[in-house]
Amino acid sequence: MSKHNMSVTLTWLKTAPGLSIVISIAVAVAATIDAGPYLLVNMVVTGGMLALVATGLTLMLGVLNIPMFAHGEYFMIGSLTAYYIFTPISEFILEHPDSWLVTFGPFIAIIGALIGGAIAGVISEKLVFGPLRRRSTDNWVMNSFLLTVGVSVLLINLHQLIFGADFKGIVGYWQGMPISIADVYVSKDRVMSFLISAVIVALFYLFMTYTRTGMAIRAVSQDITGAEIVGIDIEKIVLLTISLACALAAVAGGSLLFMYPSYPTVGLEPLYMAWFVVILSGLGNILGAVAGAFMVALLKVITMEYVGAGWDFVVPSALIMLILIFKPSGIFGSDVRGVLDK
Amino acid sequence: MLLEVKNLNAGYGYLQILRDVSLHIDKGEYVGIVGPNGAGKSTTMKTIAGLISPMSGSVVFNGEDITGLSGSAVAKKGISFVSEEMNLFVNMTVQENLYMGAYTIKEKHLQNERLEFVFELFPRLAERRKQLAGTMSGGERKMLAIGRGMMSNPSLMLVDEPSFGLAPQLTTSVFASLEVLIKTGVTILLVEQNVTKTLAVTGRGYVLENGKIGLEGKSADLAEDSYVKKVFLGV
Amino acid sequence: MDTTTNDLNMNLFDRVLDKLCLTPIGLAGLILLLILPFIPPFNQEYMLRWLIYCGFIAAMSVGFDFTAGFINIVNFGYMAVAGTGGYTSALLVLNAGLSPWIAMLAGGVSSAILGLVIGMISLRLRGIFAACLSWFFGLAVMGLAIKMVWLTRGPLGLRVPRLFETESNFPFYFLIVILVYLTYLICKWVVRSKMGLAFQAIGQNMDAARTSGIDPVFYRVFNFTMSCAIAGVLGGFYAHFYGILTPDMMHTSKTVEVLAVAYIGGRGSLWGGAVIAFPFIFLMEIVRSTLSHLPGLNLVIYALVLILVMIYYPGGFSYFYDTHIRQPKNRALRYFLNGRDA
Ligand SMILES: Nc1ncnc2c1ncn2[C@@H]1O[C@H](COP(=O)(O)OP(=O)(O)OP(=O)(O)O)[C@@H](O)[C@H]1O
Ligand SMILES: [Mg+2]
Repeated sequence: MSKHNMSVTLTWLKTAPGLSIVISIAVAVAATIDAGPYLLVNMVVTGGMLALVATGLTLMLGVLNIPMFAHGEYFMIGSLTAYYIFTPISEFILEHPDSWLVTFGPFIAIIGALIGGAIAGVISEKLVFGPLRRRSTDNWVMNSFLLTVGVSVLLINLHQLIFGADFKGIVGYWQGMPISIADVYVSKDRVMSFLISAVIVALFYLFMTYTRTGMAIRAVSQDITGAEIVGIDIEKIVLLTISLACALAAVAGGSLLFMYPSYPTVGLEPLYMAWFVVILSGLGNILGAVAGAFMVALLKVITMEYVGAGWDFVVPSALIMLILIFKPSGIFGSDVRGVLDK
Repeated sequence: MLLEVKNLNAGYGYLQILRDVSLHIDKGEYVGIVGPNGAGKSTTMKTIAGLISPMSGSVVFNGEDITGLSGSAVAKKGISFVSEEMNLFVNMTVQENLYMGAYTIKEKHLQNERLEFVFELFPRLAERRKQLAGTMSGGERKMLAIGRGMMSNPSLMLVDEPSFGLAPQLTTSVFASLEVLIKTGVTILLVEQNVTKTLAVTGRGYVLENGKIGLEGKSADLAEDSYVKKVFLGV
Repeated sequence: MDTTTNDLNMNLFDRVLDKLCLTPIGLAGLILLLILPFIPPFNQEYMLRWLIYCGFIAAMSVGFDFTAGFINIVNFGYMAVAGTGGYTSALLVLNAGLSPWIAMLAGGVSSAILGLVIGMISLRLRGIFAACLSWFFGLAVMGLAIKMVWLTRGPLGLRVPRLFETESNFPFYFLIVILVYLTYLICKWVVRSKMGLAFQAIGQNMDAARTSGIDPVFYRVFNFTMSCAIAGVLGGFYAHFYGILTPDMMHTSKTVEVLAVAYIGGRGSLWGGAVIAFPFIFLMEIVRSTLSHLPGLNLVIYALVLILVMIYYPGGFSYFYDTHIRQPKNRALRYFLNGRDA
């Protein structure tokens, strides 16, 4: 029996996902030993954020066939919302250091970001995607892509117009001493932001796998006519999917406000990193997107460490291009063009 | 009258396919539509199922006007459509596909009852309940599509070409399962290439040609009709 | 006027126009552009600078449309390709002492090579993924320009000798108008030949094109290479006009500007973007300079126009022109708008 398991494991290792996961883990361990554990911490925090943004992107692409170019702007909306919610809270905390808001204030801001993202998503569907879908679905992928390009420019410049171009950041969410994990001191904010993204990704996965609505979303992504036949209200699912996808990006923006202050183009980096992830992991599979998120995060962190800051534009793009050349369906891409499955 | 279709005109975009199609089905009836390829049989089914909105005409189901409702709204009224293309969820297991078929049923125990029923009818599906629909054979998929159509406990089933691409043996078992459904009180509108078979099993039939109803009547009479014999049976 | 319109009856004027891919109205427009800098208020230097920028975007949008409108692939790194040409040209002038005119052509060659590479490696990808790949390529090239400080001076920018040793913008203006027209003419010649049909066949349905004996590999790569070569030369013009070259010109947001103009102008027309660029970009510059206390407003308008066009009029200006303006009852007017049809 164990022999059988061994051979199964071995064949898995030889597949593209197996190989890349093992190599990534090895690289992560080696780099951590060499450069210090902060590298691992950075990777985990960035990876958690990317997992959120990338699952949202996957959702849009898989269910609605919209290649989102504006996804980073929902990240920006999240960080902006969190900023405007948390700034008064932190002033209040300064005056009342014993208030319950010390612990729960940040959660209010982050949940606010989530809700803000969801609302922005609903508005986008009502004003932009819905009208396009009702008018025509010819050449849908390209047209909707161009539409999201417009949305992206619009949101970036509305931010600049209304809130200005300066950095709107906070010192930190949770005060107090850093937490010690195996002799490494990690700030509370980092730990919390990772935990938040882990919990949300896990909840999202369970939602998609086991609930009636989650299954309906997957059904729409696999066969939209089939979904309609069995009585799934497509309009509702579309609206839900967009708001979910945008909320995921926004919550990432909100929980990382302490690292990435909000400014008009803050979403650009999460956007293209999330696209790296989506392409790396092939279309639409949640677990693949999560694994891919951590790989891209590792790639970024390692590039920053060993090649230098700023090269994180170059090295990951080069690597992704290589992957695209040899495996256009991505590392985790399945042959069946189905979306959002294990 | 369970379903009444009156002067239905429908098509794709500006292209009109159906011209003044009228038909009616009583509760518990087993009705067939036959006709050559491209006659508009599938288009008729899709229009009734709400996947195409008609240009004019009306569809009344159970005394209620359902013209122009969306596919999901029609499904909720109790009409289930087994399409020619099957439209299965290829990346879900057989069991998940079946549960999706019962999407309009909220109570879990009712869903499970339906699942038992379908599994009894198609033991093959029960054996393969964990398999992904996309990896099933053509015949198995057809069964799954029909099984999924039954899951919502519909009062009317629209079945488009259930035997297409099936071996004779499987065809027989598919027809047998439809027969079982009729016995449980379900009404069926059947579209089939196999004219002899269709006219043998159904009670009443329509002949559709170039988007128009040419003939209608008792299936037994249609089978004896000289025109039908000449055109479809090559006799 | 003679009503029989066969080839023999076409007089010399019509035949020349036809060879030059112009209609009488097109010729009138071109003449208007050439006398524009003598008409107040356009004779002021700052207005000329704007017009030159309009011309640059116009020419870029023609080259962009040559790919996007025909083989249906959005080259999302188009400005980065142009930047490559610009940098190559600038560096050759600075380090090898070449004349800017020759260097510009060399820039075109370097961009063509880049286009060849992108064209080749994006072959296995379809639509949106090919767009992503060219985008990542663009990001990588921009990253290189930022990081290779020893060569490019990074974000500080290169000081580049100008094409004409004069403070005046006049010669640059005439040059860009000629470049706009040349770009249009070359692209139009190619798409008028039987190659144009092949492009469209590939853009609409690659598999069908392949079964009817069109080799998509050759045509796609050729198309990419040619449009990138155009971008390279234009990038050289950009560098030797502004006299300062920063990696910023390669930014995705610049590509978006070109893309927006090309699509508002009308995809697949080649001339639409060129025609729209002048009034549109010019108006945007006016908005930007007169409402400078509202930064970003011009881009908000920009984005709104793109969104509205994508939803309600995806054919763009050229489609509007073809369906509503082109066929007036009046015969003389019709001749003016269409020329003598061969
Ligand atoms: N999506 C579509 N867009 C445009 N035309 C269509 C579409 N689907 C079907 N048609 C056309 O409508 C006509 C009727 O098609 P339909 O599928 O209803 O025929 P059918 O009677 O079911 O034929 P078959 O026996 O081959 O299934 C055909 O001429 C077909 O080409
Ligand atoms: Mg049919």
